[in-house]
Amino acid sequence: MAVETDFSRDEKKLTIKVKGRFDFGRHQEFRSAYERQPERPDTVVVDLKEATYLDSSALGMLLLLRDHEGGDDSCISVINTSSDVRKILAISNFDKLFDIS
Amino acid sequence: MPADQALRVLIAEDGAADRLLLAQIVRRQGHEVFTAENGEQAVALFAEKRPQLVLLDALMPVMDGFEAARQIKALAGQALVPIIFLTSLSEDDDLVRCLEAGGDDFVAKPYSAVILGAKIHAMDRLRRLQATVLEQRDQITRHHHHLLNEQRVAKAVFDKVAHSGCLRSPNIRYLQSPYALFNGDLLLAAFTPSGDMHVLLGDFTGHGLPAAVGAMPLAEVFYGMTAKGYGLAETLREMNAKLKRILPVDMFCCALLLNLSFQRACVEVWNGGMPDGYRLSASGELLATLASRHLPLGILAPERFDDSTEVMPLGVGERLLLLSDGVLDTSDEQERLFGVERLQAVMAENLDPERLFDDVLQALKRFGGRARDDISLCDIRMVEPGFEAPAAMLYSDSGRSSPLDWSLGLTLRGDSLKRFNPVPYLLQLLQEVHGLRPSSGVLHSVLSELYSNALEHGLLGLDSGLKRDASGFAEYYRQRAERLAQQVDGDVRFDLRVEPHGQGGRLTIEVRDSGAGFDVEQVLARPAHEQGFSGRGVNLVRRLSQHAQWLEGGRCARIQICW
Amino acid sequence: MDMHIDHQVLSDLQDVMESGYQQLLETFLEDSERRLSQLHGAKNAAELGMAAHSFKGSSSNMGAVGLAALCQQLEERVRQSPLYGIEDLINRIDQEYREVQCFYRGECARVSSS
Repeated sequence: MAVETDFSRDEKKLTIKVKGRFDFGRHQEFRSAYERQPERPDTVVVDLKEATYLDSSALGMLLLLRDHEGGDDSCISVINTSSDVRKILAISNFDKLFDIS
Repeated sequence: MPADQALRVLIAEDGAADRLLLAQIVRRQGHEVFTAENGEQAVALFAEKRPQLVLLDALMPVMDGFEAARQIKALAGQALVPIIFLTSLSEDDDLVRCLEAGGDDFVAKPYSAVILGAKIHAMDRLRRLQATVLEQRDQITRHHHHLLNEQRVAKAVFDKVAHSGCLRSPNIRYLQSPYALFNGDLLLAAFTPSGDMHVLLGDFTGHGLPAAVGAMPLAEVFYGMTAKGYGLAETLREMNAKLKRILPVDMFCCALLLNLSFQRACVEVWNGGMPDGYRLSASGELLATLASRHLPLGILAPERFDDSTEVMPLGVGERLLLLSDGVLDTSDEQERLFGVERLQAVMAENLDPERLFDDVLQALKRFGGRARDDISLCDIRMVEPGFEAPAAMLYSDSGRSSPLDWSLGLTLRGDSLKRFNPVPYLLQLLQEVHGLRPSSGVLHSVLSELYSNALEHGLLGLDSGLKRDASGFAEYYRQRAERLAQQVDGDVRFDLRVEPHGQGGRLTIEVRDSGAGFDVEQVLARPAHEQGFSGRGVNLVRRLSQHAQWLEGGRCARIQICW
Repeated sequence: MDMHIDHQVLSDLQDVMESGYQQLLETFLEDSERRLSQLHGAKNAAELGMAAHSFKGSSSNMGAVGLAALCQQLEERVRQSPLYGIEDLINRIDQEYREVQCFYRGECARVSSS
């Protein structure tokens, strides 16, 4: 599975883990990850520890996720980013929209 | 067992009784039957009746089943006509012969209606599957041709849109791969009425038609607003709002915008998501990078959009190099990226600016990268002001109504001064006067200069003496943003009067600010080149208009233009 | 148990052929005369084998299981050399055919009168 999800009831936190290439091919799976949750989480964490590559479709998917979780009211962090991934996120200044680490 | 669909079945069997029996069995299952006694008859009958299924006896006189099968398969072409061999041959070799001849299945004697029915049913399913595949393949081919044609048409339209600006201006060199536009890369350039140049290098997410479709509305806003004299910030706000409104959530446009002012020898920059641009000296030395500080266009709502720009000096002969990420993302067989370091190495080694693009392309090819089709490169050189008159604006009115005797007063106070730029509106109004149209450029320059001076020096108290070097520029504009963000006291007032004069008319413009003014006598007494540093645009205004005066202790600038 | 005819097969045949049953019987009888001549007139092992093979097929379709078995034997025997005892086998086939021929003619009569 290239996209794994984990929902923690106590923390009301949804964790989405993306493995391998985070590109256009992951579109369906990524959307299902947050659209099919029965409860709305308070926070969402996107774990990119095992992600090897990120392109503009992935940035688009993050924007869709943010829009789904309330846009400006959302609270989404992107964690375990490699330096390459961080560079891509930095050029687009996505740290202004997401908490990136 | 009746069949789902009545088929045309060819039976070739040399035994008369067997033939009779088989035909009856198959007919009872609901099919239409044709019979042949030998292979030759079978092939002839096949060509004439085109049955959908063939039952062939392996051993027949005149032409045996194997040869008949081969010929029938040849006649069938791409369509699948299942051949079921009727045989009691039990040796594997014999069965292999059947398969090699094109047989799809076997049926042994004595004939069982049940088994025969099942095999016919199964074979028919395969036949229909093959027919569906062929039909879908043909459909796909037709659609593909449609799509290719649509793309051809779209590309022709987009090319017109994207290249209606001033990219052919002598101080711009650019290179775009043929399908760059179709991969979302956009390169636009246009002159403002006052002769400044706006440039946009953009990169839409995605590829193909969806990416290129966003380019049209964006180009429209860019060209429209630039031609009317709007500044970079206002144009950015409009472009962002438009894209935010019309694009889906996951689509956006990375963009790098420049406003080159030849008269002021500086460039204003906004970079949202594009790779670093580079400011190079005339000899190719790296002086500064134009880094991405903003989110790309089309993501933030208008209230949250950040239109703040960076201003830096750009001397005559200095250059700006812009590129899309197709250059940096070119990869070799080991999937390593070309990257920023290699690019900077090429820039450092380059000796002849004319050859910079070639050097970059060579380096990409040597790197072993596959040629990408989305590379955009742009090299803009700063030149002396007034080197080329911008193309005249096209007016779309009948030329009949021209107001010749009117006056207008406009006062901007407090917070209105923070974001609203009155100059484009005043300019549009003045362009209603036909006699003033040839002076559009001058009007735009003069109005902009007088307004920014009234605001920046009159009200905000900024010192133009800062603008001598790069760090001074940065400090000046930092202070400007800071003071503008706070409470702004005072006002700026425009008075325009148009009246008939001789055979033509006369325009009088007065711009007043409520600030401290300046010592007019003293400034005008200085030698010409020093007057420029007063920050009151004295040189510029006097050069462009007739009868420039500074009254009321420097708080009022007054110019007249006659035609 | 009848060693010559499989009556179930015959009964199924009558079901399948409906009104064509008699024609089938007559066609078989006619056809079989030809096949016998082919057997007798075969000039070499290959021709003999093919004739036996065909006759085997048509007789098995008609439920003449004894006849089919004999033809099978002949088909197999013909592949071995030297060919001895072949005449004997052919004669037995002749005899077996005469038996079933009687029976099929009887069937014809029975059906045409009903």
